[in-house]
Amino acid sequence: MIEFGVLFAQGGIDAFTPLQAISENGMAALAVGLAALGAGYAERGIGSAAIGAIAEDESLFGTGLIMTVLPETLVILALVVVFLVG
Amino acid sequence: MSIKETEGTSNYEYVTARVRTRRAKLFDEEDYRKLLRMGPGEISRYMEETEYETEVNALGARYSGVDLIEYSLNRNLAKHFEDLLRWADGRLYTLVARYLRKFDAWNVKTVIRGIYSGADAETIAEDFIYAGEFDRQFLDRLAETGSIEEVIELLDRTRYGEPLADASADYEESGVLVPLENAVDRTYYEGLIGGVDATENRANQLYAEFLRAEIDFRNVRNVLRIARSGADIDPEEYFIEGGDLFRASDLAQLSGSIDELAAFIRDSTYGDDLSDALDELERADSLIGFEHALDVALLEYADRLSHVFPLSICPVLSYILAKEREVENIRAIARGREAGLSQDEIENELVVL
Repeated sequence: MIEFGVLFAQGGIDAFTPLQAISENGMAALAVGLAALGAGYAERGIGSAAIGAIAEDESLFGTGLIMTVLPETLVILALVVVFLVG
Repeated sequence: MSIKETEGTSNYEYVTARVRTRRAKLFDEEDYRKLLRMGPGEISRYMEETEYETEVNALGARYSGVDLIEYSLNRNLAKHFEDLLRWADGRLYTLVARYLRKFDAWNVKTVIRGIYSGADAETIAEDFIYAGEFDRQFLDRLAETGSIEEVIELLDRTRYGEPLADASADYEESGVLVPLENAVDRTYYEGLIGGVDATENRANQLYAEFLRAEIDFRNVRNVLRIARSGADIDPEEYFIEGGDLFRASDLAQLSGSIDELAAFIRDSTYGDDLSDALDELERADSLIGFEHALDVALLEYADRLSHVFPLSICPVLSYILAKEREVENIRAIARGREAGLSQDEIENELVVL
């Protein structure tokens, strides 16, 4: 970021204008979104396996549920970024 | 009748999870030990408290004793394997259906044998296992035909049509069913592998390898039986293409002596896996022991694959094999008890991992 700034400054252009198309907060939001996407993809596989197991044995409902939402932690960790930035 | 191409990706996670649960519910050694001490009536009562409850209850009014056990087993097997086909999507479906065509072959053979022996449609239909690709209606139509020619005609549009038509000349000439049955078996085994090899996926390659091993073992078994019976049969006629252990010409040469055959297998890629089986063959000189050791080797291999590739066809395959084994074991116990065999003799018939 700083090198870019220097470069732009040398070229006589206001350094941060072009990069401000997306603000820091926006970037943080994007991070959360991507993390949620990853979590969703992970849950796809786990969820279908969990449903398969529950269909066979209903007592597995609790375990299946916990396993399915485990990737949700990814999103929570990504939320940390929002607080760091914001 | 070709395999229906389902759209979408394979749902390995779902099918594997269900299959593993069912696999865990199969009878274990403890159950077999209990069953070994029971008579046919007790066995069916025991089955009523397990997985087979629905079937035993549904058929209990119509059959009794060993027949009840046998029909319940078949029906339960069909139910489970139909489930597999119902769940699976995409490529997984194709791979499962390919293996379950075994039951189509079985059903076609049942029809042919039934008609040959003059059984009526109802009796034939009782022995069907509705687990393959042919649906119930089609099979019932097959059973209702009165002659073998009509059966062959009905099967015309299926994969069995052409081979059966080719074999029917031999059948008419000799009057025995062997050519027809061979044609059915061979069609099944030859359709088993086609197309699987072409994939990049390691798990599918191993699946193909497994199928080849099964064909090889089938060939070994056939040769041994021919060699053992001492009958004047050309082993090449029974040779199934698709394995990588033998060529048809090897087979003819090896069938002469069991020792030579054993040495040949020991030097092959299966040598390590089968060394126990071969020792058994050489020591006890018993075919049953050897054949069971082959079965155990296949089961163990399938199990190993299913642990190495959990998200693939392999767990499903290992379940199918284990379930078939269970059904055969229970049947062996029930039949053995009925025939008054001793516990040891029946135990020799069981294949338990």
